[in-house]
Amino acid sequence: MKTLWIGALLVGAQLGQLDAPPKAVKHRVMYVAEAQTVAAGKRSVLELRFRVDDGFHVNSHTPKSELQIPTALELGAAAGVKLTAVEYPAGKEYSFAFDPSEKLDVYSDSFVVKVPVVAAAGAHELKGELKYQACDKAACYPPRTLPVDVVFAAK
Amino acid sequence: MAIDLEAANITAARCRAECEDHVGSGFGRKIVLVAMMIAGVTLLVWAGVHNARERKLAMQKTVESKAALVAETAGQTDADSPENATPKLQGKIAPAFTLVDLDGKKVSLSDFKGHPVFVNFWATWCEPCKLEMPWLEDFSKKYKDQGLVMLGISTDDAGKDVVAKTAKKLGVTYPILLKDDKVEDKYGLEYMPQSFYVDKTGKVLIATAGISDGQGGKDAIEANIKKLLAESGQ
Repeated sequence: MKTLWIGALLVGAQLGQLDAPPKAVKHRVMYVAEAQTVAAGKRSVLELRFRVDDGFHVNSHTPKSELQIPTALELGAAAGVKLTAVEYPAGKEYSFAFDPSEKLDVYSDSFVVKVPVVAAAGAHELKGELKYQACDKAACYPPRTLPVDVVFAAK
Repeated sequence: MAIDLEAANITAARCRAECEDHVGSGFGRKIVLVAMMIAGVTLLVWAGVHNARERKLAMQKTVESKAALVAETAGQTDADSPENATPKLQGKIAPAFTLVDLDGKKVSLSDFKGHPVFVNFWATWCEPCKLEMPWLEDFSKKYKDQGLVMLGISTDDAGKDVVAKTAKKLGVTYPILLKDDKVEDKYGLEYMPQSFYVDKTGKVLIATAGISDGQGGKDAIEANIKKLLAESGQ
């Protein structure tokens, strides 16, 4: 009898937990996916465009302080695609209005990360993530990881 | 998923009546018990399903209202930015915490009950935070005799050594505590810096987010500290 009661209680509790909403993460950087075609079997460069929300900036890949978290793209391996080192754009100098003497190296508006590849003929998909840490003019947001899905064709 | 509770209860009642003649016997009592159990289990399952459905509806409503809010504020300032932050904890009791300081000693907010406490959340990667921390160091010393307690809480994942090195470089001598898994959620932190002026009764008198002349500049912080001390009768 006791087992039946406990079982019933557990069923009720479990049903109550269904559909619990996951914690939402708000991103300040967006990957602007564009259809790309490269030459099959030859070294080519994929261009990945990212847009930073208006009024925000993220640290460049080479920030001036070791404490600042660099923007970094990590892509996973994919069959038929050979990846080499990712190329990042240079950052722009930026200072907060409240501390003009402190110079930062940042990306704002939009920036393009170049991914050199050698791909076999066919359709390909590279999955990865962009790590970044954003600030606006008055505050900074915790480091975030943006999922990136790069789809391209090699002909 | 409609479950007829009334029918289940009637079944239980009918069973009780039919079995009345047998109540004195062990068999009768068992039947009554089983009928009551069935009604009980039915009630629990119904409650669970009802709860899940209510949650789903509430979630849908939230998504719809968020979509409406985005549509309304399109082209305006960011509703989530610190400048528009709703001081959710203002006027409420500051969430309790027990954290570890840079020496490994446990420190609780409740240790300072009866004192006005300035709780400042920061991170080593946060430039605005590092700008205001030397100011907080000054205020910590200036108002110590009036009972002010200054606490810094690092939200870094970088580890104690990096936090300690940064605090030292900034000249900070007030206690720096290391976050745990819960304190950020308790205080609803989405950005740094955020500060909470906790009065001697443990209530959040003022909550500020970000740094700007209007909200968190040095003079504004000092004005808020004076208000905190005055409210605390210091």
